Amino acid sequence: MRARPIHYLLVSPAQLLLVVTIFVPSLWVGWLSLHEASFGTEARYVGFANYTRLAADPYFWRAFLNTVVIVNVIVYAELLLGLGIALLFAGGLPFPRLMLAIVLAPYAISEVVVVIMWKTMFEPQVGVMQLLLAALGIPGLEWAVNPVHGLTLIVLLAVWHHLPFTFLLLYAALLGVPKELHEAAKVDGAGAWRAFLHVTLPSIMPAILVALLFRYVFAFRLFSEPWLLTQGGPARMTEVMAVYLYKAAFRYHELGLAAATGWAMLLLSLAISVPYLRAVRRRMFADAA
Amino acid sequence: MRRRRWRPLLRRTLRGLAFIAVAVWSLFPILFVVHASFRPPATIFAVPPQFMVAPTTQNYVELARLWPDFFGSLINSLIITLGATALTVVASALAGWVYARRRGRLLTSSAFFMVLVRMFPPIVITLPLFPAVNAAGLSDTHLVLVLLYAAFFVSLGTWIMKAFVDQVPREFEEAAEVDGASLFQMLRHVIVPLVIPGMIAAAVFIFIFAWNEFLFAFVFTTTRARTAPLIISEMLGSVTGVDWGPVFAAATIQLVPVLLFVVLLQRHLVAGLTAGGVKG
Repeated sequence: MRARPIHYLLVSPAQLLLVVTIFVPSLWVGWLSLHEASFGTEARYVGFANYTRLAADPYFWRAFLNTVVIVNVIVYAELLLGLGIALLFAGGLPFPRLMLAIVLAPYAISEVVVVIMWKTMFEPQVGVMQLLLAALGIPGLEWAVNPVHGLTLIVLLAVWHHLPFTFLLLYAALLGVPKELHEAAKVDGAGAWRAFLHVTLPSIMPAILVALLFRYVFAFRLFSEPWLLTQGGPARMTEVMAVYLYKAAFRYHELGLAAATGWAMLLLSLAISVPYLRAVRRRMFADAA
Repeated sequence: MRRRRWRPLLRRTLRGLAFIAVAVWSLFPILFVVHASFRPPATIFAVPPQFMVAPTTQNYVELARLWPDFFGSLINSLIITLGATALTVVASALAGWVYARRRGRLLTSSAFFMVLVRMFPPIVITLPLFPAVNAAGLSDTHLVLVLLYAAFFVSLGTWIMKAFVDQVPREFEEAAEVDGASLFQMLRHVIVPLVIPGMIAAAVFIFIFAWNEFLFAFVFTTTRARTAPLIISEMLGSVTGVDWGPVFAAATIQLVPVLLFVVLLQRHLVAGLTAGGVKG
């Protein structure tokens, strides 16, 4: 049925929230990125000077590189672990309500508390994980002084925190794979591995792609974990793009530089989601006809 | 034939171990913090670790003494969370019903816009909003966080609601129309009772997010509207060195309600994620 004005009125609260608090401010950042400004001063048009300054700033490239590397590690580690757990669960689950509650538990925890947990477990010399690693003869993580170790800890806690999301999408998809498909594969004499590769995997591929896309877009925003754990230190070596943006704006009061970073983050997020957005748009407008 | 007999046993054992590993991975950090909040502070970082010590409420007493603000921040968190949840659920339910039932190019474009905006990184908007919020006198108020949190979840909420309304047969609405019900009477008495599970699913997501959020609380609050996660982060940043006992006590108080929430409403969480994520 066709939409009438009353229906536009009904969607307007949701749309207004998006337009006023997210869409317009984001466009405004694009405008801001072409200006030199600080909080409380008049903006002055400078063209693309902020972008050229970004491109010349080694700290920006460090943050960019860190982001690209850890986002990829986080997303694929989650995918492998999430798929593994989903397959384990789909193969028969003892105490299903309890086990699902256990796996979903990290989803309930605040980033701040997640950082507290992992920080104390990896406290140099005295954290339980450090002691466990030492007992196994593995050198501990010197995350406060070694940037690679710092980023490793950030990856670890991000994976722990967001695994429930990836797991849940894949598990729901696995439960939706028709049993007959598996039986047909068995009749044809396919082994477990071949059945997985040729039957299970293609059936859950849409869910895998959606999980990947959302985790890419959301991991790319990562701020609280690195901020609370290392504040980008030592010597700005563990910054990610969001931390770089925050420092540029609220520590160095370089609003134009922060805006250029923000606009870059926005465009990269949209670029990552183009295939998904195109698919969604095609389906929506086919539906609307 | 001998092979056949031990293979199922080996398989069962390995699967059992895998389930235990999954449970330890998920629960150990949480239990560690909760457990540590009841240990005497001196034993928390003892080497070798001491897990079997007489429980004490000393850390909670210290928390109340050193950080009285924490309890006020829990109230702030609760107000903001309930406000954002109510706003998101109402706005999402209205929009979700329209997107499920009505068609039109402009309407479809606005639906696509909702999906598009979901991709925008939250930190970007702090740049223009920080001065704007200050100028509007809204800095350090509950309202700013309610609006921001609702804005970032109204899109997921709408998609969840649309998926649930899609399950309701149109005939129910038509019958109400024949009976002479107005649009709002029909929504209130026909649709709402049938999509309560969807509203709960949408509420679970925004509730968890608003209760736990850090970035916006960090940027937009200074004293009066500070939320619990923010106070906990301030405890971590104390210049005199971190006093871990009260930190664990505060973390436990902050996490237990929302953890129970997730455990009790897990069915809705699963339903909401599959409705809002995969299909939208």
